[in-house]
Amino acid sequence: MSETILITAPLLMKGLWLTIKISMWTVALGSFLGFVIGLIRASRMKILKAALGVYIHCLRGTPFLVQLYLIYFVLPATGVEWLKFEAFPAAVIALSLYTSTYVSEIVRAGIEAVPKGQVEAARALGMSKWQTLGHVILPQALKLMIPPMTGVYVLIIKGTSVVSVIGITELLRAGEQAALRYPSELMTLYGLVALLYFVYCYPVLRLGRWAETKFGRIENSL
Amino acid sequence: MDNNKNKTVKNFIIKVEEVSKTFHTKGRKPVVALKQVTLQVEEGEVLVIIGPSGSGKSTLLRTLNGLETVDAGHIWIDNVDITRKETNLNQIRQKVGMVFQQFNLFEHKTALANLTLPQTAVLKTSSGKAEATAMALLNKVGLEGMERSYPSQLSGGQQQRVAIARSLVMKPQIMLFDEVTSALDPEAVRGILELMESLAHQGMTMVVVTHEMGFARRAGDRIIFMDGGEILEEGTPQIFFDNPQHPRAQFFLSQVL
Repeated sequence: MSETILITAPLLMKGLWLTIKISMWTVALGSFLGFVIGLIRASRMKILKAALGVYIHCLRGTPFLVQLYLIYFVLPATGVEWLKFEAFPAAVIALSLYTSTYVSEIVRAGIEAVPKGQVEAARALGMSKWQTLGHVILPQALKLMIPPMTGVYVLIIKGTSVVSVIGITELLRAGEQAALRYPSELMTLYGLVALLYFVYCYPVLRLGRWAETKFGRIENSL
Repeated sequence: MDNNKNKTVKNFIIKVEEVSKTFHTKGRKPVVALKQVTLQVEEGEVLVIIGPSGSGKSTLLRTLNGLETVDAGHIWIDNVDITRKETNLNQIRQKVGMVFQQFNLFEHKTALANLTLPQTAVLKTSSGKAEATAMALLNKVGLEGMERSYPSQLSGGQQQRVAIARSLVMKPQIMLFDEVTSALDPEAVRGILELMESLAHQGMTMVVVTHEMGFARRAGDRIIFMDGGEILEEGTPQIFFDNPQHPRAQFFLSQVL
C-alpha cells in the first residue's frame, strides 16, 4: 500500500497543484467579476441591473457542465480566433463566470444589509457616494460577506473536479489515472484524493473563521 | 423676542418656498407629505416643528439638507438653491448638520473615529488635527474617556452625544434635529435636551422636530405646527401653547400636554 502511495504521489501532487492553480485563478477572477456585478446590482443603475439579473439567472439556471461544454466545445466551433480556448483557460473562464453569480449575490446582500441610516448619516455629513461606499458601507458589508464567501470558495475548490471532463488532469483525474494503474488500491487512492482535497479546503475554512473574528471583533448590535 | 417685527431686514439662512412632496410606493396609495410649504428661518433662530406623526415634519426637515428631494418648489440654504440639479449638495451638507432619531453612528468605528472620518474625508483635515478637534468636542459633550468605545458599547444617550458631536466637527451653520430624543430613556432625554439648549444659547441656527413640548417652549424662538403636510399654525411658543388657534393644533396640544 505504502509503495503504491509513493509511486503515485508525484501524479497526485501534480493533480493537486493543478487544482490549486485552477481554483486560485477562479477565486480571483470570479470574486473580482462578482464584486463589480454585486456593486452594480446594489446601485440604482436600473437597466444595467436588470441585464445583470438576466446574466445571473441564466448562469444559475443551467448546469455548470453545460456551460463548460459551451465554452470549450461550442465557442471554438464558431471559428472566431480568440474564442478557441485551451482546456485550462476554458475551465477557468467557465468556473469564474459561474462563481461570479454567487459572489455578486453575496456582495449585493451584504451591501443591502447595511442599515440605510448609515448611508444617510454619511451623506448628511457631506461625504460623496464613493466616500460613503468606501468608508461606511463596504467595511460593514465585508464583515457580513465573509462567512458565505468562505463557503463559496470551498465549493469552488471541490467544484474544480468537474473540469476533469475536458481533459484536465487535476486532482480527481489524477486519482482516476492512478486507480486505473493500481485497481486493487482503489480504496487507498480515492481516500488519498479525498484527504488532499480536505487538506486544501480546511485551511480555507479556518482562514474564513479567522477573518470573521478579526473583522467582526466588535459585536454588532444591529 | 421681536423676531417677527424685523423679518424684512433680517437675513434668512433658510428659505423654503412652496415646496411639495408626494411619496409613491409600489402597490400603495401615494402619500402627500408636503403641500406647498413656505417658511423662513433666520440666522441664530431656533425653529421647532411639532405635529402628529405622518404630518410631514420629518420630511420637511430632511428636504433641508437634500436627503429628501422635492417635487416642486425651492429651498435656499445660505442663498444657494439646493433644489437645483447643478447645486453641489455635498458642499451644502457641510454647512447643515443633522442628528437622527436612531443616532446612525458608524457602527464599525470608535466614537473618536466617528468624529475624525468626516473631517479627513470631507474637509481633508490632517488626521492629527482632526483627532484634536474630535477629542475637544467629545469632552465638550461630556464623553471624556469614551473616545475608544464603539457605538454598541455606549448607552443610547451617549451615542446621541457622539452623534451631535460628529455633526459639530463640520462646524455647521445650521443644525437639524429629527426627533433625537424619541429613542432614549427619560434620563438621557434630559441630558440631550440640555445639550441642545446650550447649543441654542451659543447662537446656533436650529430646526428641531420634536415631541418634547417642554423643550419647545423653553428653547424655541418660534413654533410651527404641521398636519397633513401643511403648516397650520406658526408663532412664538407663548402664543402657540397658551392660545392655539387652529382646531387641529388645539386638539393636538390637548392630547400631548
